[in-house]
Amino acid sequence: MPGRIRAHRASLRRLAAACALLLLTGTAAALRGALADDAAPASTDRVVEEVAGAEEALETGHAAAAEHGSAGMPQLDATTYASQIFWLIVTFGVLFWLLSRKALPRVAEILEARQDRIAADLDRAAELRAEAEAAERKHAEVVAEAQARAQTQMKEVADRLAADTARRIAALDAELAAKLKDAEARIAASRDAALAELRDVAIESARVAARRLAGIEVDRAAAAAALDRVTGEAA
Amino acid sequence: MASPLEQFEIKRFLPILVGNADLSFTNSALWMVISAGAVYAFVVWGTSRRAVVPGRLQSLVEMGYEFIASTVRENAGKDGMKFFPWIFTLFFFILAGNMLGMIPGAFTFTSHIIVTFFMAICVIVAVTVIGFYVHGVGFMKFFVPHGAPAAMLPLMVPIEILSYCIRPVSLSIRLFVNMMAGHTMMKVFAGFVIAMGLFGVFPLAITVAIYGFEFLVAFLQAYIFTVLTCLYLHDALYMH
Repeated sequence: MPGRIRAHRASLRRLAAACALLLLTGTAAALRGALADDAAPASTDRVVEEVAGAEEALETGHAAAAEHGSAGMPQLDATTYASQIFWLIVTFGVLFWLLSRKALPRVAEILEARQDRIAADLDRAAELRAEAEAAERKHAEVVAEAQARAQTQMKEVADRLAADTARRIAALDAELAAKLKDAEARIAASRDAALAELRDVAIESARVAARRLAGIEVDRAAAAAALDRVTGEAA
Repeated sequence: MASPLEQFEIKRFLPILVGNADLSFTNSALWMVISAGAVYAFVVWGTSRRAVVPGRLQSLVEMGYEFIASTVRENAGKDGMKFFPWIFTLFFFILAGNMLGMIPGAFTFTSHIIVTFFMAICVIVAVTVIGFYVHGVGFMKFFVPHGAPAAMLPLMVPIEILSYCIRPVSLSIRLFVNMMAGHTMMKVFAGFVIAMGLFGVFPLAITVAIYGFEFLVAFLQAYIFTVLTCLYLHDALYMH
């Protein structure tokens, strides 16, 4: 429906103009008919007389109006209608033409320019805001990345330290164990040596005791055998 | 004392005869020219600077433009904006005629029935032509009320058509009578001021009050004429 209106806008305007013209000519014709009672009948070869007749008619009309004037309303004086309608059409038509051709498009242009400007400013503001938001996002990203990196680095260091400590502890443990084993071996050796010495002492003691007490010279092998026999019995 | 109707008399300044038709340049024609010139000067001067940030006069022009635009949009619908220049001219021409007629000694051309009637007839004819142009013969359905029982149609359709044809009469008489009555009343009360001597201050006060009131009427009647035109346009474009 709007499309149809748009498409036929020009012809629509022409139609409206035609209607206005028709109305005007209709009124004029009616008026001429009303005046024709007094005026001479229209004829092409007696234009001057016709005009004179019309003027005469106008004068009589005037007089009638003036007579009426004191009693009736000037609005009902039909002799003024043609002039009023004519000048109404002329002034309104010219005003419409001037406004629609020149003045109103200019106002529309100004309003549109302002609208455009405001819209452009708003667009620019939105753009800047988007930019700021992007920058903020980027900043947050960089910070998060740095934090993550710092965290992994710290973890790495901690891991390395822990591994180092564990390794050192293990080495220390091994060293201590070796030392312990050494010491134990040494203790066992000294004990064995002590025990062997003790046997020698026992053997010598037994030979000495036997010589002093019984006056018997016991040789070393017999003493050892006797000692072994005694310790075997004791055990 | 002069008749209060004397102010409505048409005076011929420049007799013009075309055939038998009297197209003389009268006081009415003079004020039509002044009104049209004032409206055009108002719009053109107001927008001459084409400022993005408008001055006082430009703001006024823009307000007038937006005012009529919103009136058309609200009352005639979106398609009505095609006829915006027409409505704009109509409103401001009538408004200027009414307002300039408030100047003492000026002639108010809208106080003549033939002027308002011709404008109303043009509006109705144009609107009807638009209606038939947009809807074709289907525009005749406009005269068939919705939901009316078929038996009532022979009665209701003529009533609808009659009420449609009455529109230009009511439209024109409303404007003409308002302008004429207000001016007549002012003249009557103004006449009392002289006639009552010292007590003339009372009718003087009333005249002042009526004068202020008349400005409201001058605007309101121009607006009513415009709004009704928009509503008729809406009827033609959308049919109810």
